[in-house]
Amino acid sequence: MLFALLTGTLALSPIVQADTTLNAVRGQRLDVNAYAGEVTVHAWNRNAVRIVASGADQDQLEISSSATAISIRTHGRHGPPDEITLQISAPAWIAISMGGVNTNAKIEGIRAPISVETVEGEVDVTGGESLISLRSVQGSVRLRGAKGRINVNSVNEDVEVANSSGDIAAQTVNGEILLQGVNASSVDANTVNGDISYSGPIRSGGRYALSTHNGDLTLTVPEGTSAGVTVSTFSGDFESEFPVPLRGTRKGKGFNFTLGSGSAQVTLESFQGTIQLVRPGSEEDPARRKREHDRDHDED
Amino acid sequence: MTELGLGVATLEHEPTGRTDPDAVDATLAASGDASAFERLYRTHVPKVYGLVRRMLSDDDVDEVAQDIFVRAWQKLGTFRGEAAFGTWLHRLAVNVILARRETLGTRRKRYVEGDMVLETVPSRRATPEMSMDFEAAMERLPDGAREVFVLHDVEGYRHEEIAQMLGLATGTSKSQLHRARMALRQHLER
Amino acid sequence: MTQDPWTNRLSEYLDGELPEWERHALESHLESCAECSLVVSDLRRVVRRARTLKNPPPVTDLWPGIAARIGAGIPKAQDVVDLDAQRRVRRRWAFSLPQLAAAGIALMTVSGGAVWFMSGAARQSVVSAPVPSSPPEGTPAVSVAMKPNASQSYAAAVADLERVLADGRGKLDTTTVRIIEQNLAAIDRAIAEAQRALDADSANLYLNTHLAETMRRKLDLLRQAAALVPVS
Repeated sequence: MLFALLTGTLALSPIVQADTTLNAVRGQRLDVNAYAGEVTVHAWNRNAVRIVASGADQDQLEISSSATAISIRTHGRHGPPDEITLQISAPAWIAISMGGVNTNAKIEGIRAPISVETVEGEVDVTGGESLISLRSVQGSVRLRGAKGRINVNSVNEDVEVANSSGDIAAQTVNGEILLQGVNASSVDANTVNGDISYSGPIRSGGRYALSTHNGDLTLTVPEGTSAGVTVSTFSGDFESEFPVPLRGTRKGKGFNFTLGSGSAQVTLESFQGTIQLVRPGSEEDPARRKREHDRDHDED
Repeated sequence: MTELGLGVATLEHEPTGRTDPDAVDATLAASGDASAFERLYRTHVPKVYGLVRRMLSDDDVDEVAQDIFVRAWQKLGTFRGEAAFGTWLHRLAVNVILARRETLGTRRKRYVEGDMVLETVPSRRATPEMSMDFEAAMERLPDGAREVFVLHDVEGYRHEEIAQMLGLATGTSKSQLHRARMALRQHLER
Repeated sequence: MTQDPWTNRLSEYLDGELPEWERHALESHLESCAECSLVVSDLRRVVRRARTLKNPPPVTDLWPGIAARIGAGIPKAQDVVDLDAQRRVRRRWAFSLPQLAAAGIALMTVSGGAVWFMSGAARQSVVSAPVPSSPPEGTPAVSVAMKPNASQSYAAAVADLERVLADGRGKLDTTTVRIIEQNLAAIDRAIAEAQRALDADSANLYLNTHLAETMRRKLDLLRQAAALVPVS
């Protein structure tokens, strides 16, 4: 196993397996571009980046370090590179920018900005601070334990944000959006063909916009919530587990009502799905359903 | 490569090894081909309609059956092909039917304990029109028992699946099934 | 009449759900209990009867109602937008600019972004980079004055991006193409449904903003897809 501490440019010839460690200096970010394969980044408590690579020997792995970035890049000699597996250990303070096509990305423990973009792979991130942007075309996007401005985007699969705080923009076309245990003052969730569920505090002065065309919306409303709620649908339904004080109607199956002093602004839109308000812990609460689902599957 | 036009119902023929006869039409319909969706409708409407008719005791069977296919059209993008299309459609139909029950506000106690179930379906002598009597007897079962009976014995779901769908304990599902069967045995031809 | 304690287990027995020791015990009981044996036989017949129930189709053909609700009667040219400009009539979105302005569509940015993609300035490498929402500094930008017909700008932006995709689709993975097509078709269906609703209620603010937002989703997806096309 090759183990070296290097700065500067290190270009490795075609490899079967490599194990490289570079010093990392605050101010550097980690750039990873792997066309295909699995990239996993775990945080550790060293000011260094360790890369353990394994893959077909046709691949060429280029690792370089500059004043601003540690870069890991795959190149193919003839056509796109083959699949590679990268296990990376990095300091928690390092910002990460990752791109790929057929790449699955998993990141854990980083407390810095994270940006991931892939086409066919899945994105699974635990952590992230300040600015988190996760995108996939064909894969699902999952984020847990993040804090900051969050932008999660898929096209064909589900998007899930859990136990995170900050401002959240979540978007997909053909998937569901699940926002659970989220403490956000601004939420913008939009899908075309899927359901949306949100459970978390609805903060005073916050803005929450959930919109879907074909799917259902489920908003978990804690007791004591203060919000002005606007419900809009064309041919969908509205249900609530608790009484809502309807006050006036709008054309086209839309109406407003106020909970408490109406401090937050909540906009719920489903063109032809069901818009549903539930209480935390009720049978319809998505958070409870997920807990029970996870528990049931854990027992399998 | 097959000519691919966005939004046009051309198809990329990929050797997937699937044997689902509806796979091609499902893919076409997901791309917006209504003719393909009509073919799926014609194939599956008898079973879907039968399910709606047996699960719901109200008069809006036609409307609910329509709702199911409209919902299926809307949700086609989520059909992954992991199961046969008919299986996927059937599960969607059950969800629509159950949601309908909730919308109608039928949250009344539906799972009758004790011997009450047997008393609600009066025994009758066997008649030549047994088929009609058997279906008619099913209609007169209490809602909960009928739902479990239809899902288990008619549609083939397991108790674990039924329990999850209906929000029951598995044991309740089993006991309701037994009571339904015991009530219906009196309407078998002799 | 006192019920036989085994009676309530007979369905489980029939379905093979009794534990082995209980099944043995029940079968021993059945050897000497005619009543229970009769019940088991009846229950078997109930199950058989259930499995052979007929499923006649509905008396009324439900398809016309379904077709109307899914817009199946509308010609394809209005439902979907095709990458191949020669085969399709372009739909003109008859919105007034104030309506679209109220919906917050940044058409000028979109149009400029579309031209930027076509100019190749966006091309970097096979590995896709995060797609910026507006052209980076220094990129030749199209000077787009405030146009009186915002719908024309939208149609032009869609056409630009579709051309990029049509030209480059052979370079994309076939699964990716299929996924993008399916999702664009889903958005087109949503647009068509919203448009039909709006036709019947043109002053409805929700429907206006919903249609505008859905149209923007289409542009977003087209831009995202165009950015996937590798540089030749």
